[in-house]
Amino acid sequence: MIYSNICNQINMDRGEKRLSKVTAKNQLQGKEIKKGYLDEAVHGYNTRTAMEEAARCVLCYDAPCSKGCPADTKPADFIRSIRFRNFKGAAATIREANALGGCCAKVCPYDRLCEEACSRTGIDRPIQIGKLQAFAVDIEKKFNMKILEAKEATKEKVACIGAGPASLSCASRLAREGYQVTIFESFDKPGGMLTYGIILSRLPQDVVDFDIEKVKELGVKFVFNTKVGQDVTIDDLKEQGYKAFFIGTGLWKPRKIDIPGADLKGVRYAIEFLKEARSSKGEMKVDGNVIVIGGGNVAMDCAATAKLLGAERVTIVYRRTIEEAPADIAEIEYVQSLGISIITKYAPKEILEDDGKVAGLIAAGTDDFSELKLKADMIVFAIGQEAEDMRKIVPAIELNENGTISCDIAKGFTNIEGIFAAGDIVNGGKTVVEAVAQGKSVAESIMKYLSQKEGVN
Amino acid sequence: MANKADLSIEYLGVKCENPFFLSSSPVAGSYDMVKKAFEAGWGGVFFKTVGIFIADECSPRFDNIAKESTPWIGFKNMEQISDKPLEDNLQAMYRLKRDYPDKVLVASIMGSSEEEWSELAKLVTETGADMIECNFSCPQMTSHAMGSDVGQNPDLVREYSKAVSSATDLPVIAKMTPNIGNMEEPAIAAIEGGAAGISAINTIKSITNIDLEFKTAMPVVNGKSSISGYSGAAVKPIGLRFIAQMKQHPLLKNIQMSGIGGIETWRDALEYILVGCHNVQVTTAVMQYGYRIVSDMISGLSYYMEEEGFEKVEDMVGLALPNIIPAEELQRNFKIIVDIDHDLCIGCGRCYISCFDAAHQAINWDFENRRPTINDECVGCHLCINVCPVLNCIRPAKIVWKEDWKITPEEINFKTRYE
Repeated sequence: MIYSNICNQINMDRGEKRLSKVTAKNQLQGKEIKKGYLDEAVHGYNTRTAMEEAARCVLCYDAPCSKGCPADTKPADFIRSIRFRNFKGAAATIREANALGGCCAKVCPYDRLCEEACSRTGIDRPIQIGKLQAFAVDIEKKFNMKILEAKEATKEKVACIGAGPASLSCASRLAREGYQVTIFESFDKPGGMLTYGIILSRLPQDVVDFDIEKVKELGVKFVFNTKVGQDVTIDDLKEQGYKAFFIGTGLWKPRKIDIPGADLKGVRYAIEFLKEARSSKGEMKVDGNVIVIGGGNVAMDCAATAKLLGAERVTIVYRRTIEEAPADIAEIEYVQSLGISIITKYAPKEILEDDGKVAGLIAAGTDDFSELKLKADMIVFAIGQEAEDMRKIVPAIELNENGTISCDIAKGFTNIEGIFAAGDIVNGGKTVVEAVAQGKSVAESIMKYLSQKEGVN
Repeated sequence: MANKADLSIEYLGVKCENPFFLSSSPVAGSYDMVKKAFEAGWGGVFFKTVGIFIADECSPRFDNIAKESTPWIGFKNMEQISDKPLEDNLQAMYRLKRDYPDKVLVASIMGSSEEEWSELAKLVTETGADMIECNFSCPQMTSHAMGSDVGQNPDLVREYSKAVSSATDLPVIAKMTPNIGNMEEPAIAAIEGGAAGISAINTIKSITNIDLEFKTAMPVVNGKSSISGYSGAAVKPIGLRFIAQMKQHPLLKNIQMSGIGGIETWRDALEYILVGCHNVQVTTAVMQYGYRIVSDMISGLSYYMEEEGFEKVEDMVGLALPNIIPAEELQRNFKIIVDIDHDLCIGCGRCYISCFDAAHQAINWDFENRRPTINDECVGCHLCINVCPVLNCIRPAKIVWKEDWKITPEEINFKTRYE
């Protein structure tokens, strides 16, 4: 296909997405927000606007942005490629470094990573690195580029447990080196939190699917609806010839607090709420008053989801201050733009009941004096997730007090030979990009382990 | 934008309310266009070139050069002289002069023989035009008896200048082509032929871009394209150089010049005035932004004159000429070492990269603190100032006398701040 035609196509695709009045107003304020559940909140770059942004980059020596990326996605390199009009080169840099480059472009907490490090901040404001990354991944998609190549799959069989970011990243790295990798997933779709736990306005499903397609192209096999430790055991898999195991299950058990009324109908937990909304493709109905408890990105996503799916009034109740909230500023601004209020320094004390259902919430001020009473038809707890019982997968595995797997984060060796782990199940729940980084580096440990083992035999 | 000094200037004996004119081009091709331009504040107009030849234009006919995301750094056009009937153009010029007697109307003409030049000169004189400009320089004429092929030949320039000046009482201006090494020769020939003034520069023969899809130049005309004239901001340095060199020639120093090439702002216009122009002409910036840009030219130049205490535009004409000297005459016994302001520095390292890769390895880089420092290798070239993205972060700071030169303490003038 002719290059310029493709670029034109990209530009036209962008052109079709006309800005709504509301979006235009928000863009004036430096925010880019759309108000439909299925709409992406951010308006992407076309070739011209991408060049404009890349031209703002001061092209640093020993660039701080690149040092700021946990997954080594090399933003300084791909921005320079865009600046010198090598869009395909930019796409290749990203894909080679980061198996989930498309997803990271959408959900990375840039303001705490590469963009925080950006030298341009010293002049005015940082380069919008995430949007440039998304632009480059768009190029990869439009050109149907095949950037990664896998060596012939002649090496050992490796099983990855869970099809989330850590496993996908690890599997991608291993498959490129010629290992035979199978990912076992308990749900019926791959992606883990990417597919189930993030609002579509931040991470459209096609972006997730594209990254995963790239992993599949490397020969990685997927087995769905199969929970390791329940439907199949590690020993079964060993019998099938698997020589190494990677645990990247993530954290899926909602953290709960024991307060009166916590078991009432109408009490929901973040991940299953988001999963149901995403699976329904926006058809799920929410109404009345919704309260979300928590201060992270997941809490913001729950609140936005509830509002966009029809809730009349959504309120976030958080026990600390906005400054202390782990949610990205962009996400906080996004929910506020939707008219969602955030009440800080209150912790849930009691859920009020009416006819067996949730009727309201009483929250206690952290000043030990104030008290809040709010009407509620639904209360969503988004106060974090915990590990499921990992001993069901590996009975003798060493765990931390909170149930996460005890191991070196960068290397991923557990106490059991041949079993490795990374991602949220090790770090207790961090970002997608950190899971990608850890999955990638643990893949190196696995390769080293298998090649040494081969030497011994 | 209230500031409005007296910007009037006498150009070839004609009083102009300001030196800002539209050049003979698509922006000055009809009564309605020029009427709007006059009302926007332009002091005068070089009406689009008329001839016996009527142009037949191609489609599309323009292209532009972008750098990163800045479009129109340079602009290419493939238009020739007017594609309207001569009678219509003469009529338009007559009506313009009748309706705007205080504005200055210059008729631009182009013939393909002595007879045509002479005939055109008579016809436009009758319209009431104030002056005549001979277009010896359009680089994209489809006839080789016309355009820049003529301007490159001093004998033809002399001959046609003579034919025109013999046929009219109006001041005659010769418009020069830059597609030549030495512009003084055709300019002197024009004066010898009776021209009173010189306009420079017309557009530069160019290929702006090669289209990667059609494998031809831009713009693509049914799969093909042609070499044609380049203009816009990118050509200002070339225009200034030609004007300065002509104004420094003993035979041309007293000839009034009209400067053309890359003028977008009052500063660009002033630069042409400072190298010796009594008048400036604009097209490309008007094609991009419209006639309205003249209001900022008027206001901006007025503020500058107020700041610097100039009462008349005339007083600024040629002020830069004595300071533009041959390279061998520049003083070379000192270097100006720069100072880097570490508080303003954003730690990008661009100065370090450029100094190492393209200059004298005179900057050390502190990896830990991300700060550059100047070492003893600095030769005072100031490449670092040119690449630094932060305003006034790197500044010329101190004079160091070169050791192998005889030291004579004296006053050295140097620029300490940039914009």
